[in-house]
Amino acid sequence: MRQRLGIVFGAVVLAAMPIAGSVTRAQDIQMQDAAAVKKQHLVMLTDGVDVKAGIEQTVELRFRVDPGYHINSHKPMDDLLIPTTLKFVPGMVKVGGTEYPQGSVIKLTGSGEGLDVYQGEFKVRMTLVAPRGFSTMTGTVRYQACDSASCFPPRTLAVKLAVTAK
Amino acid sequence: MVLVVVLMVVAGVINHRKRQAAMQQSQVELLKTKNGSDAASSTLASLGAPAPDADLRGKTAPAFTLVDLAGKKVSLADFKGKPVVIDFWATYCAPCKLEMPWFEEFTAKYKDKGLVVLGVDQDDVVGKDAVAAAAKRIGVTYPILMPDKTISSTYKLGDYLPQTFFVDKNGTVVEEVIGGRPKDEIEADVKKIAE
Repeated sequence: MRQRLGIVFGAVVLAAMPIAGSVTRAQDIQMQDAAAVKKQHLVMLTDGVDVKAGIEQTVELRFRVDPGYHINSHKPMDDLLIPTTLKFVPGMVKVGGTEYPQGSVIKLTGSGEGLDVYQGEFKVRMTLVAPRGFSTMTGTVRYQACDSASCFPPRTLAVKLAVTAK
Repeated sequence: MVLVVVLMVVAGVINHRKRQAAMQQSQVELLKTKNGSDAASSTLASLGAPAPDADLRGKTAPAFTLVDLAGKKVSLADFKGKPVVIDFWATYCAPCKLEMPWFEEFTAKYKDKGLVVLGVDQDDVVGKDAVAAAAKRIGVTYPILMPDKTISSTYKLGDYLPQTFFVDKNGTVVEEVIGGRPKDEIEADVKKIAE
């Protein structure tokens, strides 16, 4: 939607300009629009889980990386890279282990070294024990996103998970 | 007037589609991976030119004085009369680290032209020691400068790395590029300021 707005905005502004060079200007305005948006590039798709009260069990949390982007997996090949890490604030729901999926390996053209990344959807498995009733877990995902040519600063995504234990 | 507006819209749509295609190019070539899962060969396709309000091309490169990894002050003015590449990078940025050995190579190749490369670190979660270790591992010997609080705004940096400025002998920004690029494209810009 933002990009559509950018195109329309560009068209309206540029209507007053000479036609020569108009394509370049349209590109520039689109770039300005893109630059103004500090996107997260990552979203947690799971907003709630149903579990049995008082019993340790495993739940799956689904995440999605925006198309065209990737984030480092939990175990990137280079220790300088920032691993994707999910942490929940300790509370009524006790979190046991967290199991991250394996990433897929991509290589930048001209580079012999691969990058271990998550692209598209991925699932993190987490064991938890929840008391009977309804609880809300809050936490964060630390990650760092790139596209094929550029990287964005490390970000922290705030997440919430509704847990219904019966 | 209506025709002009229509042309503008078409141009915008075409540009949008081209960029989307370039972004998706990184996921096209499938390779065998260590896990046997799908992997992609990612093609460098830079974001290109900066936004108009952040475009320093044709302007005098903003002056700065930063500190290198040894604690020595380094000013852009120290290199007056020389072509200078100012490369903003970070240890977490794979495209940056891919380019940096090429910049190292160009400093040797264009040494007789006086080419200077300055790498300006943009990490905010690791310290100088980690940056120094990374630079050593990458294999660069040109000055790596630690940022101050103003350099990002002075150079109107966006929310992405690498960003590279090619400054000629007169101190004018000849090219400003966002994102990683193939080696030959980078060298073409080096030649613009060095020859």
